[in-house]
Amino acid sequence: MATMTWQGTNYGTQLMVLTGRSLRKFFNTPALIFFSILQPLIMLTLFSQIFSSITSTANFAPGMTYVNYLLPAILVNTAMQSSLQSGVGLVTDMKDGVIARFRSLPIRLSTVLLARNLSDSVRTGGQLLLMIVFGVLVFGFAPAGGVLGTLAAMGLALAVGWALSWVFLAIGAWVRNAELMQSIGFLAMFPLMFASSAFVPTAALPSWLQAVANVNPLTYAVDASRSLALAQPVTGVVGALVTSLTIAVIGAAFAIRGFRRPL
Amino acid sequence: MSELMIEASNVSKTFGDVRALDGVSITVPKGSVLGLLGHNGAGKTTLVNLLTTMLPPTDGEAKVAGFDVVHQAHQVRSRIGLTGQFAAVDEALSGFDNLVLIARLLGASKRQAQARSDELMEMFDLTDAAKRKAKTYSGGMRRRLDLAASLVGRPEVLFLDEPTTGLDPSSRLGMWEIVEKLVSDGTTVLLTTQYLDEADRLADSITVLSQGKVVASGTSAELKAQVGQRTVTVTLESASEVHAACDALTKIGMHPVSEGLTITTPVAATRDLATIVRALDDNGLEVHDIALGEPTLDDVYLALAAA
Repeated sequence: MATMTWQGTNYGTQLMVLTGRSLRKFFNTPALIFFSILQPLIMLTLFSQIFSSITSTANFAPGMTYVNYLLPAILVNTAMQSSLQSGVGLVTDMKDGVIARFRSLPIRLSTVLLARNLSDSVRTGGQLLLMIVFGVLVFGFAPAGGVLGTLAAMGLALAVGWALSWVFLAIGAWVRNAELMQSIGFLAMFPLMFASSAFVPTAALPSWLQAVANVNPLTYAVDASRSLALAQPVTGVVGALVTSLTIAVIGAAFAIRGFRRPL
Repeated sequence: MSELMIEASNVSKTFGDVRALDGVSITVPKGSVLGLLGHNGAGKTTLVNLLTTMLPPTDGEAKVAGFDVVHQAHQVRSRIGLTGQFAAVDEALSGFDNLVLIARLLGASKRQAQARSDELMEMFDLTDAAKRKAKTYSGGMRRRLDLAASLVGRPEVLFLDEPTTGLDPSSRLGMWEIVEKLVSDGTTVLLTTQYLDEADRLADSITVLSQGKVVASGTSAELKAQVGQRTVTVTLESASEVHAACDALTKIGMHPVSEGLTITTPVAATRDLATIVRALDDNGLEVHDIALGEPTLDDVYLALAAA
């Protein structure tokens, strides 16, 4: 019998191999690629058409096209929705027994979560980029911030998605049930999404909703993203990044604790 | 005395109020197979989870390959392979990629990982399906892939938790042959099963668990000797002689039971077989067949696990 045995590897390699696995899994599943592309495009198409007349109201700056107003917000929304998939993906892996297999290997368990988070961020980045290209080519997205402003807005959306992905990983690690995850996710996301400045300026909302929107963290993330893309005076970018980082650290701590519990 | 590869002393595990394991001690010498027999819920899987570092024991300690399962979990994990009740394979990846992934996580280089994966796909007769996604595999193929995955690191100790549950007879046989091959190469195996024939065929020694406790252990022969009596079965040539044969056996102190042409009687020792043959011969009775029967593991299992 061969005596060569492998005694484990460093965290960097573990992270790289596990991230590669998640990405490969994604690219191996055409249906998943299709829907993760389709969903944001449908959102962009629908909302840009439904609300396009809104820009003629008093709450909009003159000359503002709706797609320019909407796209930076949809970037944040898409990143947020993708982050839910992190948690769902983790739960699916647990159910398939893949995580049980990983647990019997000499690897650090937290790298499994880090890899999930990292690969999902890469995937979300691809989604956002695609949306921007689609917005430019089909809907005439041409923000004042230009390429740099748009990329900055995308970066901010990614940071928000990255942070929320830790939250959903934490929920997934504790709840361990995909259906329940989905329900919690949608329940949390829909009110956040609509009771915010994402689709219309908060000034256009009924006063009670306006009050909600003003305390909704998503409003601040969307405003920050928009200010970058539209080259408006930059508002709340630092705040959004610091908040994201804080949420990520807390989420990661809970995620790792929850994940360490026996299956 | 050969080296012990698994050593559990007095381990217990409680989940809330449920005592899943209650002071279990087992030892498995290097290169041997321990069969863990028991009903669903007897504590077999809990014991496996404990020995494979997946669960910490509530009480007691255990060593695998000489390392403590709690304090030296990393060393234990580098030396074990685990095949659970449900195939733990990544369905969206090809069979080959599943193995490469594990080899890489164990510390193999890309080239080593591919070479090892090729070797295992060949060994498990999966080469033709190597590039196909695991979700297209049949149940038997999936189990083979799962077992292959647990062998990537050439483990010193292999844990098989009901490895053939749900497999068709030919896949079961294939699985048994693979396990026998591994053992002949020096791997130590702990096997849990509900199938008596499986334990009988593969295990050097058997431990019977019931409600979290060890209720019996020993070799298959020892367990049978402990529980069941051996029996002699005589088949006669002619039905007219059955009555006479029973009389002859009763006269020498036996308790024969007849059914058709066959007579069965419990015996205390092997030499009773000769006594029976002589008694029948002295009475001029024609014997078609005579056999000394061992009690089956079913007898052992039912007697002990039900107790």
